[in-house]
Amino acid sequence: MQRRVVITGCGVVTAAGNDLESFWKTLMEGAPCIGPLTGFAYAEMGQLSGAEVRLPAEDALPPDVDPDRGRARCLELGLAAARRAWAGAGLELGPAQRERAGVSFGTTMGEERQVGDLSQRRHAQADVGVDARFFARANNHRLAACVASTFGLGGPVLMTTTACSSGNAAAAQAFDAIASGDADVMLAGGADVLTRLIYCGFQRMGVLSASVCRPFDKSRDGVSFGEGAAAVVLESLEHAQARGAHVLAELAGYGMSNDAHHITAPGPHGEGFVRAVHQALAHSGLGLDQVSYVSAHGTGTPYNDKGESEAMTTLFGARAKRVPVSSIKSILGHTNGAASAIETVACVLAIQQRAVPPTAGWREPDPEFDLDYVPGKGRPHPVDVCLNLAAGFGGHNVCLVLRRFS
Amino acid sequence: MKGAVAVTGFSLFTPFGVGWEALASALDAGRVAVEPATDAPAVGVARIVDFDPLRHVNVRGMRVYPRATQLEICAASLALGDAGLSGDAALDPRDLGLVTASSYSHLETLLEYDRGLVSAGMQRTNPTLMPLGLPSAPGAATGLALPARAFSITLNDGGASGLAALGLGARAIAAGRARACVVAGAFTPFAELLESSSRAGNAASAERFRVLDRDAAGVAFGEAAAALVLEPLELALGRGRMPLGIVRAESTRFAPTAELAPALGRALSAALAAAGAGEGGVSLACAGANGSPREDAAHVDALSSALGAHAARVVVAAPKANLGEAFDPSGLVQAVVALGALRARRAPPIARLTTPRGSALRLPMAPAELAPGLALLTSISPSGSCSALVLSLGAE
Repeated sequence: MQRRVVITGCGVVTAAGNDLESFWKTLMEGAPCIGPLTGFAYAEMGQLSGAEVRLPAEDALPPDVDPDRGRARCLELGLAAARRAWAGAGLELGPAQRERAGVSFGTTMGEERQVGDLSQRRHAQADVGVDARFFARANNHRLAACVASTFGLGGPVLMTTTACSSGNAAAAQAFDAIASGDADVMLAGGADVLTRLIYCGFQRMGVLSASVCRPFDKSRDGVSFGEGAAAVVLESLEHAQARGAHVLAELAGYGMSNDAHHITAPGPHGEGFVRAVHQALAHSGLGLDQVSYVSAHGTGTPYNDKGESEAMTTLFGARAKRVPVSSIKSILGHTNGAASAIETVACVLAIQQRAVPPTAGWREPDPEFDLDYVPGKGRPHPVDVCLNLAAGFGGHNVCLVLRRFS
Repeated sequence: MKGAVAVTGFSLFTPFGVGWEALASALDAGRVAVEPATDAPAVGVARIVDFDPLRHVNVRGMRVYPRATQLEICAASLALGDAGLSGDAALDPRDLGLVTASSYSHLETLLEYDRGLVSAGMQRTNPTLMPLGLPSAPGAATGLALPARAFSITLNDGGASGLAALGLGARAIAAGRARACVVAGAFTPFAELLESSSRAGNAASAERFRVLDRDAAGVAFGEAAAALVLEPLELALGRGRMPLGIVRAESTRFAPTAELAPALGRALSAALAAAGAGEGGVSLACAGANGSPREDAAHVDALSSALGAHAARVVVAAPKANLGEAFDPSGLVQAVVALGALRARRAPPIARLTTPRGSALRLPMAPAELAPGLALLTSISPSGSCSALVLSLGAE
């Protein structure tokens, strides 16, 4: 018998705010946080545009965590989000309980800036060697390990990557750990930073937006990037109830699929999305007719948004126009491995606030698709069951099902 | 783990050759593949020689892929063939899942791409390299090559993902998320890793490298790729396939302090409990010990503690003594070694062992007979994740 998994704490660090209230307010206003970058640059590309996080000084990593000060931005963001989620859940665990609590995080690039720094130093001075801590710093698992060490957790500590669906994949791993009885509490999340590789790579592939991304719009021209992190505290229902925790939502289940179509391009017609959604709903014991909101992957690239819209049309049929589908990447940029983790928090807030966030910047319908993309600003809507869809390079699709707790 | 999960095929690429026979004879003879690294002679490294991916698998883009990705694709494809799931017997790709254990395989490509960016500028970079520099890239390329469309997920557990990946794959099969699942991993040592490890004082020279020995001085590195195919036991039997082994249980625990042994001990206890097995049923421990004095001590202490009074009759195998530390695929290699040893009722010796660390366990210096029983596998990642896996030959 699978145990029920509930969400009792959420934390975000995003360009839209570092607390839930300002995050949700900015989302609902539909004002993109994408603009000229000040904290990250790459001279060859001129002035870069993106969505940056401004962390308060108290979130700076302590020297024992980051001896090479300021060189672990992904870890800094991930830990900041985890602290907020942990505090929100009001968890106070004893030593034995900490051994049944773990961490599951996802990232697309992790500490890729370590590699960038090394290349830069070597370019400036040819005989620069690799320092003793390089290998440890470039290790993605360091993020999950540092989060676990900070909270003294001894359960499963996992780092998952499925490119830009990593946040959802990490939540899926955490779900399994709790549902199977292997852990009682899991901190699940995702984190990613702005990197040279991402900007240059997407520019060379011709999928970087020339302005601000406009998911699902007829004239969408590509991705805008952002940085950020989010985490949720997942608990078994029994554990949450035993400590009298306030349950924010239930993570009812998940589904996965793989396009295996191309190393970067999504599969045709959103067929992978459809399979992931069917599996997620079957896992959750819910039906398509119960879905009241879809948090879309919605990157703003012609191919992704087309496939995703086709998938929604296939899935919901005649009801497709009546199910709100929105992409908050229009506000936060694409935060890669953090994106679906941030969107999970947005889904929890949508359930709590009985409202759906908008797709900012959507102006003109694509004649091929006629769905409710929630243009402009957010609006009230009774949200009981959400699908959180995410996809990654290589075709890694992961769908979470979140529902109002009852 | 609800519903028995069978291992129905595997493949191996090691410095001793392709497949189990080549490795088994080298292990039995106590041969060590580690040699001085060409670009860092103070560090020991074992490399696969004469690897041409197109001799094994011909898929689109193979020449473009980095060597570790080529190795993973070949291992995964050969494992499916070994399971009798290729050619006319291939599954619908929507019924095939993939779990990749890969923490470092992307790094060499990332370093190359970024070096090009800095030295030649963006416009002169190869755009195909960028997606191959993502940590998920080896899994994405392998999923594309097989193809595997049920799911594809990559664990980045800091270099010891192999056992956790087997656990993940087994859970996915038990949950009905795929009809079969390939669990694969590959690792190729690269210059920056060797240099960083050497400066950190973690690396041993080829000459001084030894494992579970009181004189162990550090880690040597090894190139390897491995893949196992998992299926529901009932479905495997239904298609006339006798299982090579059964994945009984897996558990991963974390060491939030510098103390590794208690965390590995908790993983061992949890895995044995989940397998419904007592420590008395264990006949082989296949340890991920790699020559790091700290990690070797943790393997010995945790196994001794978990096995209690039975420790003295449990034979320990440590294939990294022959192959070096190959990180993510190591757990998969350990699984193949464990199943081979259980089947042959004979465990290989621990190569170069002269002064065994710890007295409670049976650390063999010559091939040792095995009683029928379970195999208990251990691994530790440099960042503190500790995994344990229980394997058996049959479903009993």
